[in-house]
Amino acid sequence: MPPNDLQRFERVIVPHLDDAYTLARYLLRDQHEAQDAVQDAVLRALRYFETYRDGDARAWLLAIVRNCCLTRHRRARAERANISFVEDVDVVHEGRGTDARAIEQSERAALQRALDALPPEFREAIVLREVQGLSYREISDVVGVPIGTVMSRLARGRRRLASALGFGAQEAG
Amino acid sequence: MTCAQCRELLDAYVDDELPSEDAAAVREHIASCVDCARELELLTAMSRRIGDTLVKYQAPDVLKARIRVALAQPDPLTAGAEAPVPRAIPVRRLAFGGLGIAIASSILTFAIVRDVAPDRSLTDQVVSSHIRALMPGHLTDVASTNQHNVKPWFNGRVDLSPPVPSLDSVGFPLIGGRLDYLQGRTVPVIVYSRRQHLIDVYAWPDTRERRSTEISASARNGYNVIGWHAGGLALEAVSDLNRPELEQFVRAFNAAR
Repeated sequence: MPPNDLQRFERVIVPHLDDAYTLARYLLRDQHEAQDAVQDAVLRALRYFETYRDGDARAWLLAIVRNCCLTRHRRARAERANISFVEDVDVVHEGRGTDARAIEQSERAALQRALDALPPEFREAIVLREVQGLSYREISDVVGVPIGTVMSRLARGRRRLASALGFGAQEAG
Repeated sequence: MTCAQCRELLDAYVDDELPSEDAAAVREHIASCVDCARELELLTAMSRRIGDTLVKYQAPDVLKARIRVALAQPDPLTAGAEAPVPRAIPVRRLAFGGLGIAIASSILTFAIVRDVAPDRSLTDQVVSSHIRALMPGHLTDVASTNQHNVKPWFNGRVDLSPPVPSLDSVGFPLIGGRLDYLQGRTVPVIVYSRRQHLIDVYAWPDTRERRSTEISASARNGYNVIGWHAGGLALEAVSDLNRPELEQFVRAFNAAR
C-alpha cells in the first residue's frame, strides 16, 4: 500500500476506534473478544480501503466490525456449542438502600441484562442508535437492511426493553 | 391519522427521522389524542434512559497500541496473517551479504561479525516474537494487572521463576504474562505497558559467561531491545517505546525486582 494511502487510512479510519470497540463490546459482550474483533476489522478495512469512497467512514468501518463480530460469534458458538453465552453481567444490587449510586448501578445492570436478552438484530439497532447516535440511513448501511427494517427493529427493541424494565410502553397495535 | 398509524411512526418521530409532512401529521394527532401523547412521553423517556445509561466505551490503550504496531509493519496486510516467523530471514540475509564484503575487506571484521551474529539472531527472534504477540489473541496467556496472579502462573509451565515486579507507581502498569518458544526452549514473557506502548520482557537462565553488569541495546525495525543480566537470568526487554524510556523501564524493573 502506498504511504499516502496508509496516511489517509490513519486519518479517516483510526479516529473511529472508540465507536468500533463500543459496537464490538456490545455485540460480543467480552472485552478480549471485542479487542481481537476490532483489530481484525481494522486490518480488513485496510485491505479493502480502496473500495471505500469518500462517504461515511464511521459507518463503513462499523459494517466491517459487525461482520468480524458475527464471524467470531459463530465460530465461538460452534466451538463451545454447549456453553451458555451469558457472561460479564454486572452483579445487581438487590437491596433497598437509598444510596443513589447503588440504585443507578442496579438500573444500569437491569438495562444491560434486558439488552443482552434481546435478539442480536434488535440489540445492534439499539446500540447503533442510542449509544452511538447513528441515523437510520447509517444503521441501514452498517447492518445492510432497508431503513424500514431499521425502524421496526428499533421500535420493537425499545418496547421489549421497556416491558423488561416495567415501563408502560406497548407494542404498536 | 389513526392511533395505529401514529404508533407506527412514533419511534421515527422521537428519532427525528420523519419527513416533515409525516412529522406534522403525528404532531397534529398527538395534540388531540391523550393515549398517543402518553405513549410518546414514555417512548421519549425510554430512549433517553437507554442513551444515558448505556456506556460508550473507549478503545483500550493496548488495542490502540496493537493496531498502531500492526499498521507500522512494512506490510501490514500480511502481518495480520498467521505467525510471520520468517520475517527475520531477509534481515539476516542482508547481514550475510554484508559479511561477504567484510570477509573480502578484512579478516578482523569477519571475526567481529561472527561473534555478534548469534546475539543478533536472538534479538531478531525476540523482536519477531514481540510483533507476533501483537496479533489478535497472542498478547497474553494470563491477563492480569496483579503481580501475584502473574508470577505463580508461570509455576510448572517454565523451569525458572521470572521476576514480576509491580511498576504501576512508576508508570509501567503490568498487563499480564505469556509463554513463547524461542531458541529451542519455552520462555516466560512478562508484559507491561506505557501509554499506548507495550513492553515485553523475556527471561532465560543465564548460562553464558558474562559479567552481570553488561547491558546491550539495539534497535530492529523501529523496536528497541535492551538485554541485561540479573539474578541468574538473562533478560531482554522489547518495545516500540523510545530508548530513554525503555532504559528507564529497565532501571525500574531491576530496582523493584
